[in-house]
Amino acid sequence: MAELLQEYPGAQRALFRAYHIGGCASCGFSPSETLAAVCARNNNLPFEEVVGTILAGHEADQKMQISPKEIAERLQAGEQLPLIDVRSREEWDAVHIEGATFFTQDLMQEIISEWPKDREFVIMCHLGMRSLDAASFFAGHGFQHVRSMRGGIDAWSSEVDPDLPRYHLE
Amino acid sequence: MNPTEDLSNRIKEAIKHPKNLGELDEADAVGTVGSEDCGDMLRMWVKFKEVNGKRVIDKATFQTFGCETAIAVASVATELISGKTVEEALTMNGADLSAPLGPLPPLKIHCAQLVEEALRSALAPDAHAPEQKNVAPTLLQRLQAPAQESKKIVLGPSNE
Repeated sequence: MAELLQEYPGAQRALFRAYHIGGCASCGFSPSETLAAVCARNNNLPFEEVVGTILAGHEADQKMQISPKEIAERLQAGEQLPLIDVRSREEWDAVHIEGATFFTQDLMQEIISEWPKDREFVIMCHLGMRSLDAASFFAGHGFQHVRSMRGGIDAWSSEVDPDLPRYHLE
Repeated sequence: MNPTEDLSNRIKEAIKHPKNLGELDEADAVGTVGSEDCGDMLRMWVKFKEVNGKRVIDKATFQTFGCETAIAVASVATELISGKTVEEALTMNGADLSAPLGPLPPLKIHCAQLVEEALRSALAPDAHAPEQKNVAPTLLQRLQAPAQESKKIVLGPSNE
């Protein structure tokens, strides 16, 4: 699996969205396992189909993303679109988008247990990668319209609000 | 209603009003599975009482950051084991503990096993050799990673 993930970084997101594999410790896989072994111990998933899902993963990642510009336009139009920030507390304190919500364990519990599965919401992070993992985690839990902000808050600064300072981590 | 919808409704109901959620004050036993560091874990607290000279489970509570099925199973399992002796509770496997929800689909069976492992860890800590599975970083861990990072934030264009 380690080699597969290196070659196809989106494979884990694809596996969790489609089959609920690789999301948490109980459905995780070992780096040394083969994909065939993972399929076999998950109720004999058809190997070819799983490979197809992984190959189509990139396209699915793309579909899940939403541009900062589109979010800004929809928020400006008065739409209620929850924007959930999964960065660290320090990053949030340093800079955040007005109206966004800081992600906590409590919020995660609330989303998973109370939010309707068809509710649209956007996950965001610094550069748009961690949010894609987070969005896939929620998609794997049945949320059909969870989105990930393309390029993160960094892209928001350059495409929507230049007054919001950009930053990097050292 | 088809069985899948039915199951999904029962899980929904169980997580909407989870029973026995949260830490139990003055618990006699605690069992944990998964890693606390990454928040991806299930923990159970158990308190005993004496009834007719027998030591039985008075109350059990849980906390988890796992998936919704794990929450649902833990909720029904903590109700099921109340009033049972340790020996009786230990005879129950994941399928028994999740029985009130009905049969789980194969891909969700591991959620019930997680609850069974946490219970075993609380009730028979000596017999339970904590087995550290070699698991590749999960989506949940990556999602919770920023809380553990202590990187310096430098204002200015991103260098990544």
